[in-house]
Amino acid sequence: MAQAIRKIKKEVPNQKEEQDQATAEIMKELSNNKDAVIAAIQLMKGMQEMGIYDAVRGMLDNRTEVGAIAIQQMNQPAMHNVIKNGMSGVKFLGALQPGQMDTIMAGVGLGLKRLSETGQQVEKQSIWKMRKRLQSPEIRAAMTTMIDFMEGMGEAFLKNRNKSQ
Amino acid sequence: MNESSFSIEINGKTYSAMPGQTILDVARASDVFIPGICYTPNLGSIQTCDTCYVNAGGELVRSCVTKAIPGLVVDTESPLVQEAQYEGMSRILKNHELYCTVCDNNNGNCTVHNTVEHMGLAHQKYPFEAKPYAPDNSHPFYRYEPDQCILCGRCVEACQDLQVNETLTIDWSREVPRVIWDNDVPINESSCVSCGHCVNVCPCNALMEKSMLGEAGYLTGIPPKILGPMIDMTKEVEPGYKEIFAISEVEAAMRKSRIKRTKTVCTYCGVGCSFEMWTKGRDILRVQPLEEAPVNGISTCVKGKWGWDYVNHEERLTKPLIRKGDEFVEATWEEALDLVAEKLGGIKEKYGPDSIGYIASSKCSNEENYLFQKFARGIMGTNNVDNCSRYCQSPATAGLMRTVGHGGDAGTIHDIASSELIIVIGANPAESHPVLATRVKRAHKLNGQKLIVVDLRENELAQRADLLVHPKPSTDLIWISAVTKYILDNGWEAKEFLQNRVNGFEDFAKSLDKFTLQYAEEKTGISQEVLIQIATMIHEAKSVCVLWAMGITQHKGATDASTSISNLLLITGNYGRKGTGAYPLRGHNNVQGACDFGTMPAWFPGYEPVQDPKVRERYEKSWGTKLPTEPGHDNHHMVEAMHDDRLKALYLFGEEMALVDANSNFVQAAFEKLEFFVVQDIFFSKTAQYADVILPAAPSLEKDGTFVNTERRIQRFYKVLEPLGDSKPDWEIFQELANRFGAKWNYKHPSEIMDEVASLASLFAGVSYERLEGFKSLVWPVSADGKDTPLLYTEKFAFPDGKARLVPVDWTPPFEAGPEYDLHLNNGRILEHFHEGNMTYRNEGLTHKVPEVWLEVSHELAKERNLEDGTLVGLTSPYGYVEVKVIVTDRVKGNELYLPMNTREDNEAVNYLTSSYHDLITHTPAYKEMGVKMEVLEQKGEPPLPKHNHRYGNRVPQISVKVEEKWNRPDFTSINELLEQKEDENGTGYQENQKRSS
Repeated sequence: MAQAIRKIKKEVPNQKEEQDQATAEIMKELSNNKDAVIAAIQLMKGMQEMGIYDAVRGMLDNRTEVGAIAIQQMNQPAMHNVIKNGMSGVKFLGALQPGQMDTIMAGVGLGLKRLSETGQQVEKQSIWKMRKRLQSPEIRAAMTTMIDFMEGMGEAFLKNRNKSQ
Repeated sequence: MNESSFSIEINGKTYSAMPGQTILDVARASDVFIPGICYTPNLGSIQTCDTCYVNAGGELVRSCVTKAIPGLVVDTESPLVQEAQYEGMSRILKNHELYCTVCDNNNGNCTVHNTVEHMGLAHQKYPFEAKPYAPDNSHPFYRYEPDQCILCGRCVEACQDLQVNETLTIDWSREVPRVIWDNDVPINESSCVSCGHCVNVCPCNALMEKSMLGEAGYLTGIPPKILGPMIDMTKEVEPGYKEIFAISEVEAAMRKSRIKRTKTVCTYCGVGCSFEMWTKGRDILRVQPLEEAPVNGISTCVKGKWGWDYVNHEERLTKPLIRKGDEFVEATWEEALDLVAEKLGGIKEKYGPDSIGYIASSKCSNEENYLFQKFARGIMGTNNVDNCSRYCQSPATAGLMRTVGHGGDAGTIHDIASSELIIVIGANPAESHPVLATRVKRAHKLNGQKLIVVDLRENELAQRADLLVHPKPSTDLIWISAVTKYILDNGWEAKEFLQNRVNGFEDFAKSLDKFTLQYAEEKTGISQEVLIQIATMIHEAKSVCVLWAMGITQHKGATDASTSISNLLLITGNYGRKGTGAYPLRGHNNVQGACDFGTMPAWFPGYEPVQDPKVRERYEKSWGTKLPTEPGHDNHHMVEAMHDDRLKALYLFGEEMALVDANSNFVQAAFEKLEFFVVQDIFFSKTAQYADVILPAAPSLEKDGTFVNTERRIQRFYKVLEPLGDSKPDWEIFQELANRFGAKWNYKHPSEIMDEVASLASLFAGVSYERLEGFKSLVWPVSADGKDTPLLYTEKFAFPDGKARLVPVDWTPPFEAGPEYDLHLNNGRILEHFHEGNMTYRNEGLTHKVPEVWLEVSHELAKERNLEDGTLVGLTSPYGYVEVKVIVTDRVKGNELYLPMNTREDNEAVNYLTSSYHDLITHTPAYKEMGVKMEVLEQKGEPPLPKHNHRYGNRVPQISVKVEEKWNRPDFTSINELLEQKEDENGTGYQENQKRSS
């Protein structure tokens, strides 16, 4: 014989027990990670002393307003340029062939080395001597490369000019 | 390549095409990219986006409407084609701001995003222009943001021609067109039935689930104050779309780690829609159907799309409860299961195994039903096991098993969609099987399918029907038999079919003698002309499907009425061909499966009789136990046996029997007599109030399993969430309990249970979880090699000689309550709630749409009794009393009332009025046979149905999106025209241009 009943006696979790269990878990984690915790506390202490927490809390409490200001600041032509240039830079790097880049960088490196040697020697060179050196294969290779480089650059300039017209 | 296929050439390569396929179809089937925003296979061509232009045979055409013809040469890559496609896409982007990274629709499946990206569009040709309309946030579940709307019309097409609710249109006449609801009212006040189709198909973020907003993305929860400038900045600094996409794709990929997409199968009716459930932690973000879902494609209904957050409801049962005195006390699983084992074991010992009853759940999985009957039979030694099909479709099953052999739908939803004539008798699919109804509405609207509806109520399908017939209650067998006789009298029967494939013709034909048109007219109230019209329509149709439900099966003569339907179909040869057959529409997600997998008193899984020694032997060998030899009690018997003290204990899971079985007072009084009662559920139901032990179960989203839908289609659902609290999947509970009786079961996953069934029941011989992976499905019978049977009886009927049987039946007059009970009480479901609402009332939005139950009364009765919307009335039947508020409507006529079952209140639920009379053969209660008397308690009151319910909306039917109106706008230039002009301006003729492009 069972009448319909609606009452359910729910076990209300014992607050103290739950707290004790949580505390025990926390203590365990703390002692297992003693070094990290101590280092973190030192770091936190420093930041507290500098007043960083107060500032961060202020920002968090007013995050929408702060966010709106921040995004307004970022949404400025100068910042657009920074981002655009950043992207162009990344794109530029992406366009380079690593193999070619190796050769160029090696060339630049060696060139710089010679340059510093010249600085130390101080000795003046006559125009004649320099002209003679122009005939060396090394100089000729570098000159050709530079002219090719300028040609490519010029081509891009012209293309951009046509586009903007 | 099959016979009718041919080949076309796209970009110089040859591709195979089928007649009727468009160029876009052919291209997509072979992964050739042609853009296309408005086209989806489920919706077809809409022709609004203008991105799918190709050059076909020298002409620039929309590939979504241009049919492939043999030898056609198509080019999708030439500059001209590209220009046309770019123009189309650019026009779209004028209406849509790309801020993908901070958009909630950036989940890898955004059509606009993916198309722009695939086309490699670099920048916006026309600047984005905001529309002068505010977002519409009025609806509880979704919002429309006109600013992001590209006016592709997918939502309109879905609403008009797939769901066929006819709420959405695009108003092309205003300066800035937009999507409008009804005659431009807020969404929440429109005729929108919240089915979700429009949201499901939106190719961008214009229509979105509110549950997604601010939740899906990492950055989308940002307040508008910050978001606005962020979008501006993003647009300012992005050199082109390519970079925007690089970032948004990283973000989309990041979302994958926190948004889980899991395939599941809906539990709100027998149609068997499947979809992906998107979850973040325990939060359900979205229900997203996919084209590949075998039943529903991209369709959903209000409950399937939105009704799932009950799983996280605070009232979920999460711990076992044990009755102690006048309260339930929480217990551990150990305590609860030990107690159940001790008590059930004791009662079995003391009174014998048949003193315990087992009621299974059609809401739970096949595996769980199988295990439950295995527990009842194999461990507890009784066949007293039944499920709620006893309350609904058992008579249909019996009627079909008698005549054609299998107790299931003859074909699939695709047969229903392709039939020439649909007859719906005593069913309200638009509310009870919404997605199935969409296929009928679509075929009727677009393809000339004829529709006859026979019902007491003018439900939605009835309003759309070519012929609406209102018989006197409980007289269907008569008019069906009379129509059958008229067909025979006119020699319209399928003679060859009858001769070759059907037995019992002579006796049957003779049995029809009394069913003359005159007799039928007198008994049913249907005029002879209408009867002849029905017969003629059946005769003229090349294929006929009959759909029926509780209007047939919940009567004293229900099995016979079901049989008469099957007889009619046999006489006219409407079995075994595409677009034909009998379709009893199963009400719950797994009514079919619960029966199929053996929770029935007389049958093992796969409908093999418990009395057959050979069958028993097979199970005894496999289960290693002795099995009871005689059929057990069905639900109805069990209630009687409780009253007679023969049944001492009951174990019930997932069934609100206290409210759902007929004659609730009688059923509840029976529960009170039990010595021991175990209820296993996800909520503290009315039934649970009578329990001694309540076991907390896990709903479908928290476990793996399979269901069988009304089509006999077996589909797999996957665990979306972990069980809440200490709740457990039902099958795990059964196993733990069985093992307390020494069963030593060790199932680790439901797939192992399915493997066991497949090895025992020949109907499912080839069923396995591997064959059901993802959206794959199998329609039983499934042979060992995995071949399934979507359409039954193509070669033979399911009898030893392969022949169907015509079964003579006679009319059973209905139960009459007596002359003082002067109003006829009809009852059933409504769209927004599932049954009594234990799940759906725990959903805020659904409750907002339908907060409480109401009683439908006719205008005539309202006038006579001075009733109006909100009048509180008391209804008395010989069995009980309820108090409900009235809605006056033309959906019901005369003295017929309709009281839906969407309430959990003791003084409202319809089954306090119904009786224990039942179908003579299956014992299904005669819910639909009741008379009541009415008294007015309070003449004036707040109407029970709020004005923001769809029933008060105003539909605006039209075909598709009326793209011609877009084309006729003065500011519209067709892309062909535009390109032509451009070429002319450049001094190059179109002909030249053609050469260039080919």
